[in-house]
Amino acid sequence: MLVLKGVAASPGIAIGTAVVVPSESFALSRQYISESEVAEELQKFKSAVQKTLQDLDACERKVGGTLGPEYANLMSTHKLILQDPVLHESVSNKINQQLLSAQAAIFATLQELAASFEKIEDPFFKERRHDIFDVGKRLVNNLDGSQRNFLASIKTPSLLVAHNLYPSDTIALPENQVLGFCTDVGGKTSHTALLAQSLNIPAVVGLGTASKDVHAGDPLIIDGENGLLVINPDRYTLSNYRKYQRDIKKTDSLLKTINHLPVITQDGHPLKLFVNYDPRTDNKDNKRLITDGLGLLRTEFLFMNTPVPPSEDDQYNLYLSVAKRFDMRPATIRLADLGADKIPDFPLDEFDKDANPFMGCRGIRLFLKNPELLRTQLRAIIRTACDVPAQVKIMIPMVSSVEEVRHVRAAFNQALSELEKEGKKPVNKIALGAMIEVPSAAIALDGMIGELDFISIGTNDLIQYLIAVDRVNQEVAHMYDPCHPAVARTLNLIIQTAHKRGKQVSICGEIASDAKMLPLLLGLNVDALSVTPRMYLRVKNNIRNSNFEHCSDLAQAALLMGSSEEIRQLIEQNDQHENS
Amino acid sequence: MIQENLKIINRLGLHARPAALIAQTAGGFACDIQLKKEGVSINAKSIMGVMMLAAEFGTCLQLTANGTDEKEAAAAIKQLFENKFNEDF
Repeated sequence: MLVLKGVAASPGIAIGTAVVVPSESFALSRQYISESEVAEELQKFKSAVQKTLQDLDACERKVGGTLGPEYANLMSTHKLILQDPVLHESVSNKINQQLLSAQAAIFATLQELAASFEKIEDPFFKERRHDIFDVGKRLVNNLDGSQRNFLASIKTPSLLVAHNLYPSDTIALPENQVLGFCTDVGGKTSHTALLAQSLNIPAVVGLGTASKDVHAGDPLIIDGENGLLVINPDRYTLSNYRKYQRDIKKTDSLLKTINHLPVITQDGHPLKLFVNYDPRTDNKDNKRLITDGLGLLRTEFLFMNTPVPPSEDDQYNLYLSVAKRFDMRPATIRLADLGADKIPDFPLDEFDKDANPFMGCRGIRLFLKNPELLRTQLRAIIRTACDVPAQVKIMIPMVSSVEEVRHVRAAFNQALSELEKEGKKPVNKIALGAMIEVPSAAIALDGMIGELDFISIGTNDLIQYLIAVDRVNQEVAHMYDPCHPAVARTLNLIIQTAHKRGKQVSICGEIASDAKMLPLLLGLNVDALSVTPRMYLRVKNNIRNSNFEHCSDLAQAALLMGSSEEIRQLIEQNDQHENS
Repeated sequence: MIQENLKIINRLGLHARPAALIAQTAGGFACDIQLKKEGVSINAKSIMGVMMLAAEFGTCLQLTANGTDEKEAAAAIKQLFENKFNEDF
């Protein structure tokens, strides 16, 4: 038995036998041809190009829907590479003059091209060689009448092990035959991870050597809950995981029975429960969820992995499809929270790599320095609100002072009147709110709440800034503590200040789906929570099993406590009591 | 034969999208069109060739068009550079 640790990319447990995707080296079937075969080889090359063009067309349509416009654009670049006269000339010459087989000619051409790209110093241009190889791989696969497409040939349900999976591979994936994925490379937001989530199958990425350690036919366990890959599990581990898998299935099916029931505590206190939605990972189960609306649409992904900022139309199309999905319910779109760990590829005004990026130019600070980005996103969101019945809400990230709110409000009003001149008017009034995640905004909230329509607390960053703990820094990460008395008191201050002015408060952050912390949040009288689709029914179930009066008592007690230890004890005791 | 000096005024340089635009536009003409940067000359109808130039903001390129529709071709390519490849940036 061998256990590899990677990154949990899509939740769930998959147990089965391994299929190892062969690495991308081209195995040459034949090097040279005789003069009489030249015409035939040229024809083979031509047909392969045609076939590949058709594949790319199909792929463009398919990935456009799941992985977003940036991948669809990638496919059109691939089509141009395929039609490149230099490629055609070089391959034809090699067949004609050097009497190479079509396959060998393509291979030699790709190597020459890759070598030229290798010499480029600029990393962005250098990366293009991967595109050329992706195109080349498809071309070679299509040479012999396409029977060699490996992924399409999977006939029995299996676990897929690969060094890397390309967006273009997704099209060949046979439905219901892949029970889980694992790859050597990739991170939590790599396209492999997103794909697995949208297919609702477990995945672990970033495993380093999985594709070498696993042999075809090996029994495997992909543990997408903990980011583990177990190769040749022993009997004990296997039976444990079988039980784990059954438990997850059982809980999930039990939870589905509360889908249509209201979000309300046992003693009749209602709450709104929103969903943090990512269109890239939507799947059948998510679509069935009945929710109160979209609590948080993160938009950073539109700005990442692209050499240019997303256009107004690209943004509008995405927001429109998302808002339509939520019908008449609220749809909260957060302005892109760029900076910190999300640095786009395109150059930005006055943007240098910060020494301390989480306290540097991120969120609304970055947008106010790049007003064109702000204007484009505001226009795209307002146009969406003109075309859907949903209540569109705009959330400003990283607000630290009322002046920032005023600047955004001014830009918003400006965009609104521009669009009105173009004959576009929102169906419902658009709400403008702020994400409260910086302590100064929490403490001085009374000064800005009058200019905001709603607020949402981003607890992940708020806790990090309150305790001055960088969660990525191993030396201090353990000090990140939701039970710190400063957290409960700050949440209380925010909620009380907002309620005095009749404004609603929601919480989006990991704390909202933490079962132990839920009684405290309920007791502090938060109006809404926003959680991931996967946690949605679990949180709903926990709310429905809570007693609001009891939670209020617990919160009042916690507010009087002076140490994390006391609060943790209170919460643990309550949790044990609830479960007994 | 027509020769023109073209300066890259879009901030991002000749990345994939402008390269695609150049190759597509050039591909629509019959004449031979070359782009040259620091002694390296490439076929402007080749997207890979254009990307291989790795031409950044501020770089000057020499355009050479040679053939029946050379005038129109040179004008069309020049237009792309001047319009910053329809990028606001």
